Amino acid sequence: MTTTVVGPAPVTAVTKRRRTIAHAGLLAVLVLIVVFASVRTDAFLSTNNLLNVLRQVSVVAVIAAGLTLLMTAGGMDFSLGGNVAVTTAVAAQMFAHGQSTWLTLLASIALATTIGLVNGVVVTFTKVAPFVATLATATLLDGVALLIINGLSVSIDDQLAGLGNGKTLGLPNLVFVAALVLLVIALIMRYTTFGRDAFAIGGNEDVARLSGINVARDKLILYGFAGALAGLAGIMLLSRLGASSPGTGGLQLQLTAVAAVVIGGTSLAGGKGTVFGTVLGVLLLGLVANVLNLLQISSYYQTISVGAVLLIAAIANTLQRRRA
Amino acid sequence: MSDEEPVVRVAGIGKSFGGAVALRDVSLELYPGEIHALMGMNGAGKSTLVKILSGAQNPGAGHLEIGGGVQGQLTARRARRLGIATVPQRRELVMTLTVAENIMLGDLPARGSLVRWRSARETARQALRELGIDIDVDVEAGALTVAEQTMVEVAREVRRGSRVLILDEPTACLGAEAAAQIHTLVKNLRDSGVAVVFISHHIGEVLALADRVTVLRDGAVVWAGLAKETDEPGLVRAMVGRDVVSTRPDKPVRRGGTGLRIAGVTEGRFVEDFTVEVRKGEVVAVLGPAGDAQSRLFDLLSGRRRPERGELEVDGRRVPFGRVSRSLGSGLRCVTGDRRRLGLIPELTVDENLLLARDRLDRRKLHRWDLLSRRAAPLRHDYRVVTLAPNPPVGLLSGGNQQKVLLAKWLGTAPVACLLEDPTNGVDIAAMADIHALVDGLAADGVAVLLASSDAKEVMRLADRVVCVRDGRMIAEYDIASITHDELVAVALGGALS
Repeated sequence: MTTTVVGPAPVTAVTKRRRTIAHAGLLAVLVLIVVFASVRTDAFLSTNNLLNVLRQVSVVAVIAAGLTLLMTAGGMDFSLGGNVAVTTAVAAQMFAHGQSTWLTLLASIALATTIGLVNGVVVTFTKVAPFVATLATATLLDGVALLIINGLSVSIDDQLAGLGNGKTLGLPNLVFVAALVLLVIALIMRYTTFGRDAFAIGGNEDVARLSGINVARDKLILYGFAGALAGLAGIMLLSRLGASSPGTGGLQLQLTAVAAVVIGGTSLAGGKGTVFGTVLGVLLLGLVANVLNLLQISSYYQTISVGAVLLIAAIANTLQRRRA
Repeated sequence: MSDEEPVVRVAGIGKSFGGAVALRDVSLELYPGEIHALMGMNGAGKSTLVKILSGAQNPGAGHLEIGGGVQGQLTARRARRLGIATVPQRRELVMTLTVAENIMLGDLPARGSLVRWRSARETARQALRELGIDIDVDVEAGALTVAEQTMVEVAREVRRGSRVLILDEPTACLGAEAAAQIHTLVKNLRDSGVAVVFISHHIGEVLALADRVTVLRDGAVVWAGLAKETDEPGLVRAMVGRDVVSTRPDKPVRRGGTGLRIAGVTEGRFVEDFTVEVRKGEVVAVLGPAGDAQSRLFDLLSGRRRPERGELEVDGRRVPFGRVSRSLGSGLRCVTGDRRRLGLIPELTVDENLLLARDRLDRRKLHRWDLLSRRAAPLRHDYRVVTLAPNPPVGLLSGGNQQKVLLAKWLGTAPVACLLEDPTNGVDIAAMADIHALVDGLAADGVAVLLASSDAKEVMRLADRVVCVRDGRMIAEYDIASITHDELVAVALGGALS
């Protein structure tokens, strides 16, 4: 017979076991943090605090969801935070100038999609490395955002308060939006040909193209989609903060989203990724920030902790891949 | 030869992974100045044995004697110090460094911390000259041909003082000419007293080159002896456990109209004015040295690259170059000879790879996991894809099985015409016979088959007609019935038949 007698079986068993452990490890860390936090401070387990954490991570979750799909296809967009900054700035100015809610929402999400598409066009047709191209647009967008609000805080009063502070069935509306986005992305990645195309493109772009996948079109859609979700995240952020100020969105938000996706096990090289992992990554970062806040640790350390968590997760992911 | 002491003696070695036995009671002796061929099908245990010899894995049972001393725990580092080196199938050169730097890697002559370039180049040149290799030491390794890269790697290992050199399929993916260069090198190594372990699927090559042969099957030695004591059928029987015959079927001549027409295709100096017509039900081979015009056909016909001039017609309809979608839409299927780079997606499962192209051609929108395995099952069966786990990532399969997945992926999509580039690349002899039968079946179903190959034997077995190419130009065309294998080899190697 032509079968490999010794190769595949044990190796598969090993990879399968490792994968379960990987997510289990993340879950265990989450549980540890929850236990640690509830012992150290009473405030942590209060309904108000937990709902607040969820409200805060919703924005990152929406950005990270689009990024998970994009990174699985081997893409990268570093300008999603800048996109959020521009979207919030534009939306805030439109509200301030008395435009209607629907027109504002439509215009800002259309703008965000366009920004994503521009990134996609540059990456797809000039073959500039996505990291470089989108880092450039990120810087550019941060500047544009400051320009739009003229470096001042622009308030939207209580417009969008229903989205930002409203609740349904006791849960913040923002959480419903985020959950819906995550669910849709998860379904796309698993049950649509488009989602599987993303895995194929991330795994080997040449093979994907030769197999009849329209790689250029798919990439444009993926970048545009990631941009649209950044726009949605921008609206969510604006609704929660009630104003667009210098520093809203930007690179800090971007890094948190990338960190969450990477912690969740999505490969930076493409070809691998899960929404569930991303959800865990988002929650982990949100909880760490919240706990450090409650323990009244300086915000400097909070930034340090995000960096440290990302570094550890990246090393763990690489080690795991090398062993598998 | 064999009145000397063996430099390596392997005695009763066993190894298992989990429940699966990889090697059982394997013994063999390697003598200095001898070429020892190691043969066996994909998964017979060759690679495990090599890993044990090179210290990458430890045997579960038995022992190893190197240079007369019994070795306990052998590590990769100790094996190297004892003079055992492996040249793996995938080249391990730093492609951006020069040949000289690669040969002297880790051992650059220096005064203080300054590199003595003149001495480095001279030593490297010397190392190449001793093995009769003529390569410029100032060239970047990435610019060399695959055969030359193998030579540089061998020279490096010999210079480091290796007495035992394990060459893992050094001639796979090489044309006849390049393979002949490697053969000369191996003989030079033998004559300089190195014990060479030569791993190959090519039986003819082994019989011509090796002094001693060991055949593994299912982890055990099934035949060992001098090469002159055996012959081709004997080795096949030992490897497969039964007779494998891959002979031309008696095809009734039932050819249709023109299925594939390529006319006047020119692309730089790689392909010049290439013209061929393949009728439906016909197999036409394009034979040339590896890397010659026939290797460009895949890029041109699949739509990856646009030629400067030329026309392509599939089933009588003009197909524009340079667009993958148009190529696929015409019913042309191109099967690459480089499955790692252009064929399969290793992280995806076997079933997803099998249906990767077909689902896109069918414009399927939803990915139904429950239907996937059911739809892939007939393909797995027809192409005899064998896996132990139900649906593992395709990257974990043996080479032969990956090749069958690749063929099934494309040929399961009702092709009108197809291009097969080296379809039996790196597969063992039983899988090769399976694949030959598949190509026969394809032609019998009325598909126009264009076979790009560097293997005259395979061309004789499969093709109805053969076009020989050299330096990008067509030099001859024959009906297969009007030419013998030896004549074909002569043409492919040395220009037109006199």
